[in-house]
Amino acid sequence: MMKLKAFRIRNFRSIVDTGWQNISPDNITCLIGQNESGKTSVLESLKVFYSGIISEDVLRSDLSLPEVSCRFTIPKGWLINITDNPGTELKELLSGLTHLELTRSWIADLSSVINVSGEISQYLDSLEDAWRIYLNDVTIKLDEEMISIRDLETTFSGLTEEESDIRSKLSENEGEKFGFWLFWKKPAEVENQKNIHFPGLKNKLNEIKKQKEEINEILLKKQLIKRAGEKWKKLEEKCTQADNHLKKISFKLEERHQKMTLLMRPIEDEEDTEWKEVLYDFRKTRSDREIRMAEIESHIAFSGYIIDGSTEEEAEKMVEEVIQSYRSHLNSAILGKKYFEYSPVFELFEDFGSLLPNRIDMEDIISGNVNVEGYKAARNFLSLAQVDYSFFQQPSSRILKQKIENLNHTLTHNFHDFWQQSIGRNNKIHIQFELDHYNASYEGKAGKPYLEFWIKDEGERLYPKQRSRGVRWFLSFYMELMASANIRDKQIVFLVDEPGVSLHARAQEDVLKVFENIKDKIQIIYTTHSPHLVEINKLHRVLAVQRDDLDSRRSASRILDPLQLSLASPDTLTPLQSILGNPMGGEGFSSKRFNLIVNDTGSFYMLNAIILLMGFTGKVCVIPSTNVSSIPLLCNIMMGWGLDFSVLLFENDDEIQIAELLKNSVFKTETDTRELIIRMPENFLNSEDLLSTLDFKNHILQSREGITVPNSVYIREKELPRNFILSRFLSNVKEGKIKPTDFDEETLENFKLITGVFGELK
Amino acid sequence: MSIEKQDNPGLLSLLPDQGMKDHIASLRYAKMIQHALMPNPAMLKGMLKDYFILFLPRDIVSGDFYYAFCTRQKMCIAAGDCTGHGVPGALMSILGISFLNEIMQSDVNLNLNANRILNLMREKIMKALHQTGDYRDAQDSIDIGICIIDCPTGKLQYSGANRPLIMIRNGELSEFKPDKMTLGVAPIREASFTNICIETKPGDSFYLFSDGFSDQFGEITDKKFKYKHFKRIIHSFEELPMEQQKQRLESAFNEWKGKTQQVDDVLIVGFQL
Repeated sequence: MMKLKAFRIRNFRSIVDTGWQNISPDNITCLIGQNESGKTSVLESLKVFYSGIISEDVLRSDLSLPEVSCRFTIPKGWLINITDNPGTELKELLSGLTHLELTRSWIADLSSVINVSGEISQYLDSLEDAWRIYLNDVTIKLDEEMISIRDLETTFSGLTEEESDIRSKLSENEGEKFGFWLFWKKPAEVENQKNIHFPGLKNKLNEIKKQKEEINEILLKKQLIKRAGEKWKKLEEKCTQADNHLKKISFKLEERHQKMTLLMRPIEDEEDTEWKEVLYDFRKTRSDREIRMAEIESHIAFSGYIIDGSTEEEAEKMVEEVIQSYRSHLNSAILGKKYFEYSPVFELFEDFGSLLPNRIDMEDIISGNVNVEGYKAARNFLSLAQVDYSFFQQPSSRILKQKIENLNHTLTHNFHDFWQQSIGRNNKIHIQFELDHYNASYEGKAGKPYLEFWIKDEGERLYPKQRSRGVRWFLSFYMELMASANIRDKQIVFLVDEPGVSLHARAQEDVLKVFENIKDKIQIIYTTHSPHLVEINKLHRVLAVQRDDLDSRRSASRILDPLQLSLASPDTLTPLQSILGNPMGGEGFSSKRFNLIVNDTGSFYMLNAIILLMGFTGKVCVIPSTNVSSIPLLCNIMMGWGLDFSVLLFENDDEIQIAELLKNSVFKTETDTRELIIRMPENFLNSEDLLSTLDFKNHILQSREGITVPNSVYIREKELPRNFILSRFLSNVKEGKIKPTDFDEETLENFKLITGVFGELK
Repeated sequence: MSIEKQDNPGLLSLLPDQGMKDHIASLRYAKMIQHALMPNPAMLKGMLKDYFILFLPRDIVSGDFYYAFCTRQKMCIAAGDCTGHGVPGALMSILGISFLNEIMQSDVNLNLNANRILNLMREKIMKALHQTGDYRDAQDSIDIGICIIDCPTGKLQYSGANRPLIMIRNGELSEFKPDKMTLGVAPIREASFTNICIETKPGDSFYLFSDGFSDQFGEITDKKFKYKHFKRIIHSFEELPMEQQKQRLESAFNEWKGKTQQVDDVLIVGFQL
C-alpha cells in the first residue's frame, strides 16, 4: 500500500540536510559519489528510519540529533480506513491525501519517536496551536486574578493595620477622657477635642470596616480561584524542577556523545551501571515531565472555568469537554505510530550476512534458530524454492529425492537467467541442495536430518564456502532479493551498499538485471562506484552525493538530483563519465559498423533517438566524444585501430575550430576519397536544433514558454542539464512514449536529412 | 469615426476638455505611427496584377493590420486581427508587424514556409507576453492569415491562425480553412500550423480579411452580417476590378451598419495574380 516516494535526512553523520530527494519512479535509485561522500550514510539513515536504532557514532560533531523523514505514496482515501475515529475535519483531510510523510526523530538518549509530518501534522499542529492559545489566554487571566487577589489581600492587611491603629488611638482618647473625669482636668477643653477628633476617627473606622467587609466578600468569592492559582504555581514549580534536572542529565549525555564523536571510538565500558542509571533517570524524568505538563494544561483549563464562576465539580466536568474540543485524541505521535505499522520494510543487504552454509540441521530451520550459521540464507533458499517444512514430510524417500532434484533443476535454471557468467566457455554453475541424515559418528545427532548445499559445475562439486567471493556474493544477493520479492504482505525497500564490488564487469551488469526483474515488487536504492551499475540512458535514477566543500572531509554532504547532475564535480560523476564512451551497453566501437563520432553524449542520445524514431536500419554506430576537444583523440584511436569512421560536426564555434584542426593536423595523410568530416548546415548549432522549437518544447523541455533562439542556445542560456534531458528523450522514445507522428513536418524534414547522412556512410 | 462622436458620454464627461483634446491628439499621432509601420500598398504594384486594401478601423488606432514584404523571388502578404481594438489592439498589432518584419528580413528565414513563419511568430508573441500555459497568463493573441507567393513559379503557400483564405478562380469561390489556433498560448498545447500549397493560375483572386465585416451588426436587423454572406458578397463582386470591389464592399458595409456603432476594426486585403 505504501510506496517510498522521497526521503529527507537531517543531522546524520556527514549529512546536515539533504532536502527532499525523490527516488526514481521506476523503483531503482542509484547513489553515486566519491568515497566518504556520504552515500552509505544515506542507506544507513533509511535503515534506521525503519529500525529506530542508532549509535552515537552517527551523531554530528555539533551533536544535533538525527531526523529522517520519508514520504510515501498511498491510494487516495486509504488513510481513512486505518485511522480510528478521525473526526470530521481530519477525515476530510485524510480522504484527499495521496501521500503520507513520516518522520523519525531521535532524542538525547538516542531513543526515537515516529511522528506523522506534512499536511496531517500541520492540521494537528493548528489544533495544538489553538489549544495553546486557549491555555495562554486562561494563564494570563489566572495570573491577573492572582495579582488582583494579592493586591486585595495587601489592601486588606493594610486596612487591618490602619484599623488597629485607629482603635488604639481611640482607646487612648477614651483613657484621657476617663482621666479628666477622674482628676477634673480641663473638662471644657477635652469636651471640645472630643467633638473634633472622635467623630473623625470613628467615621474612618467605620469606613475601614466597610472596605474590609467588601474586600472580604470579594476574597471569599475568589477563594476557589486562589486555590486554583496556588496549585498552578506548585505544579509549575515541579515542572521547572524536572526541567532543571533534565538539563543536568542532558549535559551528561552530551558529554558522552562528545567523547564518542570527537574521539571517534566506541565507548569501552558498555556495562557501565552509572551510565545506565543516568539513562534511566533521563527517561523517567522526561516521562514525569510530560505527565506534569499534561496535569498543568488540564489544571489551567480547570482554572479557566473557576474564573468564569463555575464550581469545582462543574469545572472538572467541563475540562474533559474543552480538551476534547481543542485537542484531537490523535496526535502526530499516535498517528505516526499507527501509520508506521504499514510502512515498507527497509532492508539493508549485508554482504555476507546471508551466505549459504555448507550444511544446516532441519531442526534449526524448523525451530527458527537465527543464531545458527547460514540460517537466513537457508531460509531464503527454501523461500526461493517455495518449499515449506511440510515438503520434507514426504514419507517416500524416493519421491522426496526426485522432488528435490526437480527443484534443484528449476532453481539453477532461474539462477542462470541472471547469472550469465561461465567458468571457461560453457561451464555454468549449478546450485543444489540435498536432504541427508547424520550417521552414527555424529554423537547426539545420529539419524537426524540436515540440508546440504552445493554449488557445482561440470568439473567440481564444491561447498558454497569453497567458491569464489564473487559467486558467493551474487548467490547470496540473488537469494536475499528474490526471497524478499516473495514476501507479499509488505512493500520492501531494499538498500544495497556497493553491490558486486567483487564481480566481473559483466556480472555487475547481471546485478542490474536482477534489479530490473524485481523492481515491480521491491524498491531498490543502491550505491556504486562502478560504471557497469549505472545505466546511462536512465539518468533519472541517479542521485549524486558529494561534499559541500570538495576538499574537506568534514564538510556536509549534499545530494544532487538528476536535474542537478551538471553541478556535480567531475569526480562524483566518474561512473557516468566512464561509460560515456560506451553508453549503448557493449556496442561501443565497432569493426562491423560504420562509426560516427559526435561531439558529446547529448548528441549521442539525440541521434540514437532519431535512428529509432526513423526506423533507420543502416549499420551506423554513434560514438560520443566526452567533449568536442576529445574528437581528434578519438579519431586517432579509430585510425590506429583501422576502423571506418566519420566525424559529424555541427556549426558552432568549437566544432568549426575542430573541423579546421582535423583537416590540418589529423587527416592530412588520409586520401581525399574518404569523407571524414560531415558538416551540418549552419542553422544546426547542435544536435537538439534538429528539432523544431515546438517539438523541442513539447518533447524535450516539456514546457510551453515562448522560445525565440535556437534550441541549443536556449539550453546554454538557461544552463539546463543537457545530457539529462536528452537522455530522458531517448528513454521516452525507447519506451514508445514518443512516436514519429508526434513531430511536426519541420522536425521530420531534419530527421530525414540526418538519416540521409547516415545512409551515405559506407 | 472621431472619438467625440462615439456613444461614451459617461467616460467623456469625466475628462476635462483640455485633457480630452490632448488625449485625441496623442491617439491621432499614434495612428500616424501605426500607419507608417504598415507597408505602403504601392509597393505591391508591379508584383501583383491588381489589389485593394479595405481598412476601416473602429477607433483612431486599430487592432487589425496588414503586412506585405517583397523580394525578387518571393512576396509575403498577411492580414492580422489582434485581440481587442483601439489602443490595446494597436499595441498588439505593432508587436505583430515588428515580429513579421523581424522574421521576414532575417537571412536565415529566407526560405521559410508560411506555417513556419506563424510558428516563429507565436514563439515571439508567447515570449513577449510571458505566456507559459498558466491560466494567469495574458490571453492576448493575434489571428492572422498569411500568403507566401513564389513569383517565378506562381506557387502560393497559405497558413492561417483562425483566419481563412478565399480564392476565386474562373468565377468559382474556394475557401482554405485555417488552423483553429491563434498566435499566442493555446488552451491545452500548441501544435504546428498547417502549410497549404496552391498552384495558382493567372487571374486567380485571393482575399485575406479580419472578422470585423462579418461580425458587424446591422442597423435594421440588429443581426451580424455573417461569414456566409460575406463570402457571397465577395463572390458577387469578383468580376470587378479590385478598386471597384473595394468601393462596393465599403458601401455594402456602411449600408449594413447604418447608424449603429462599428463593433470591430474591418480589414480586407484582396489581390489578383
